[in-house]
Amino acid sequence: MNASSDKIAARDLSSALALGAIVAVFAWLSPDFLGARNLSMLAIELSTTAILALGMFCVILPGHIDLSAGSGVGLIGGVAAVLITNAGWPAPLAMLAAAALALLIWNLMGRVIVAEKMPAFIITLGGLLVFKGLFWLVIRNATVPISPAGAPNILARLTTTYLPPALGWALAAAAAAFLLGSWWRRVRRAKATGSAYDAETGFLKAFLGAQAAALFVAVVNGFRGVPLPAVLLAVSAFVVVILTEHTAFGRRLYAIGGNEEAALLAGINVDQTVVLAFALMGAAVAITGFMQTAYAGASTTTVGDLMELDAVAACVIGGTSLKGGRGTARGVLFGALIMATLLNGMTLLAVSPEIKYIARGLVLSLAVWLDTRLSR
Amino acid sequence: MTAPLLEARGVTKRFPGVVALKDVRFDVRAGEIHALCGENGAGKSTLIKLLSGVHPHGSYEGELFVDGKIAEFRGVGDAQTAGIAAIAQELALVPALSVAENVRLGDWPVRAGLVDWDEARRDARQWLGRLGLDVDPDLPVERLGAGQRQLVEIAKALRKNARVLILDEPTAALAEAEARRLMDLVRALRDQGIGIVYISHRLEEIFDLADRVTVLRDGSTVATRSAAQATREVLIRDMVGREITDLFPRRASHPGPVRLEARGLAVRGKGGVRELSDVSFSVRAGEVLGIGGLMGAGRTELVMHLFGAWGERVGGELLLDGTPLAAAATWDALAAGLALVTEDRRRHGLIIDQSVGFNLSLSTLKSLNRGGLIDAHAEAELNERDRVDLRIKTPTLESRVGGLSGGNQQKVLVGRARRSAPKVLLLDEPTRGVDVGAKVEIYELINRLTDKGHAVILVSSELPELIGMSDRIVMMRSGRVVREFTRAQATPESLIAAALGHKETA
Repeated sequence: MNASSDKIAARDLSSALALGAIVAVFAWLSPDFLGARNLSMLAIELSTTAILALGMFCVILPGHIDLSAGSGVGLIGGVAAVLITNAGWPAPLAMLAAAALALLIWNLMGRVIVAEKMPAFIITLGGLLVFKGLFWLVIRNATVPISPAGAPNILARLTTTYLPPALGWALAAAAAAFLLGSWWRRVRRAKATGSAYDAETGFLKAFLGAQAAALFVAVVNGFRGVPLPAVLLAVSAFVVVILTEHTAFGRRLYAIGGNEEAALLAGINVDQTVVLAFALMGAAVAITGFMQTAYAGASTTTVGDLMELDAVAACVIGGTSLKGGRGTARGVLFGALIMATLLNGMTLLAVSPEIKYIARGLVLSLAVWLDTRLSR
Repeated sequence: MTAPLLEARGVTKRFPGVVALKDVRFDVRAGEIHALCGENGAGKSTLIKLLSGVHPHGSYEGELFVDGKIAEFRGVGDAQTAGIAAIAQELALVPALSVAENVRLGDWPVRAGLVDWDEARRDARQWLGRLGLDVDPDLPVERLGAGQRQLVEIAKALRKNARVLILDEPTAALAEAEARRLMDLVRALRDQGIGIVYISHRLEEIFDLADRVTVLRDGSTVATRSAAQATREVLIRDMVGREITDLFPRRASHPGPVRLEARGLAVRGKGGVRELSDVSFSVRAGEVLGIGGLMGAGRTELVMHLFGAWGERVGGELLLDGTPLAAAATWDALAAGLALVTEDRRRHGLIIDQSVGFNLSLSTLKSLNRGGLIDAHAEAELNERDRVDLRIKTPTLESRVGGLSGGNQQKVLVGRARRSAPKVLLLDEPTRGVDVGAKVEIYELINRLTDKGHAVILVSSELPELIGMSDRIVMMRSGRVVREFTRAQATPESLIAAALGHKETA
């Protein structure tokens, strides 16, 4: 028990150190990196990466994968943009239709995977190509703006809305209350049932989380306030943390990833659970698709490119096992933060795309190598 | 007197936080079978790993001697060179490769830079022939039965000139007849001068085979005795440190109404082959129905089918409390009031990397539902109650279940099944690979469950267990129920006769 929690502590520490090193290098190379403006941009970029990664986490946990997520992001954003700009639909309706489409597609993919016992790797690889082709057909290889004549609509506002400072502070307070509240509940439960819980470390983590939220609000209030995508991320993260850690559905995901056969023989409806996980992935694709397209200002052929790999990388860096059954949503958030920080910093430094690819690949490999070393 | 083939003197092995072996002394001579006994967690596995080079020299205190000379194994390779081969419970065979490829695994005969398959086949056939196994050397190992695989593994070891053969629970996966054949072979190998270290939880086998018996308890050698001195009472006392007067404490039952009844079930398996037919039986509330038979008789398939996990029913009917049970899936069966403890707990039972608590509550998450969330407080209380009640030895409920001993893992599974308050509890080999102390606790738990009116179906390959714990027994052969015995009628001889069958056409 002690040995394993030491290992977890070493893992947490090493990923925190890695993030610290990345931040330090960028801050040293570019004085703007830690500025309010750039951190606001980083928050928006993190939101898209992290929400998609959280969806990916839901399908990796039961031992599957989704390679079509990036193409899906482009397709769903493209469908919304075309419905708004070319077909003249009201933005909310167009987004609702596109989101429904995403849920339907991912539900179907999940059904095919469980019913035909096909590897998710293959089905979603097919999806990657098919959705990319459909995407380009839908936007006819053109650039489709997210609103006709640049009139602001709800889709455009997704990534351009900032909360007033007071509301930002209120949210930070709510986050702090949640973190400390759940810590307190754990302590009380440990006391009541006599189980072991490291209350001090738990408090330290909750306290650091609360502090980070406050610091974040303080900094971004120096620019325009808390960006709306950060709020969407917070809500998504809350939902996924609750789902995976506090519901029967989450337990089933871990059980299926740990040992599918045993899960089935424990009376778990494996197929239904996996299909639901894919539907969640579909929801994450829809939200990310809207945000990513809005952030780009228009649906263009490159929206969503390779995002599935960033999402997988975030999961793995965050300690999720690709075999399934292991990992936490909090870890995935941390992994997404590392990937987003890296990309943001390199963009700020005007690093060439070639080098960006190489750096992302190296960081991913390094993180996984470190993880296997530490978990031995 | 010549020096023993292999000897460990004053061996101590420490792992972080535990001393696995304390000053252990053990030796095996040429031409003897030396049985090693002890409860799970007594240190048997650690001692084998040390003897076979898995734990290299320098990672332990004390010395190993081969032919009276100090041996310092750096790894398994060194031990094999010295003629020591360990055959683990989980066989080191590659299922998709052929018998010949497995026998020569890692040591393929080479001619002109290419593998000489003809030579490999000839060689494999020769070695297997010596063990009395006549199989096509091109057959993939996955198509062999458990007993045949064991022989392939032994052939592999003998081919490397093994002089000491360490067998860890070699009969655990075998039914009675196959186990007997293996034991005959072990005797033959001994007579050829090979030294054999034999580990088994089945005391009968040890009385049958062993020339000497060493008992380990909590990492220390309790005693090494000659076969003549090692009586059942002595061995059990050595192992558990207390007397167990009655190994099978089945109490007389007061059966209630019929709970589960099968009438002429016929079931097709994968590939459309009919694998079960004419299966009829019934089990009453408060009763233990034993199901016996050889490996492959269809016992596991039957309980898996009852639980909705295997096969397509093509005939007959199944009634639970008098109403037809149409459970087509495990969750339906669970909801209807059935629960299953599977035969292979690591592969089909536990989520091995998750915690003890996680595994205990896995089948009853719905009952913990409070507003869509799991009531963590109620869950922790139930888990703690089961930990105390079932005497599950674990550091905490958050500990990884894979770290527990076999007996405690089994208690977790039984606890999970019991939590769903099943009308009928299906137990498939519930005491396999479980030490004597935990076995008795599981038997006592069965008694408590039947006292409360649960019906139990007990599948077992161990005849003493089957006879000792069942109120009635049905014997299966080739997918059929061949005979039903009352407790008074059941003798080992009559059960084996039913399992083997007469020369009638099936």
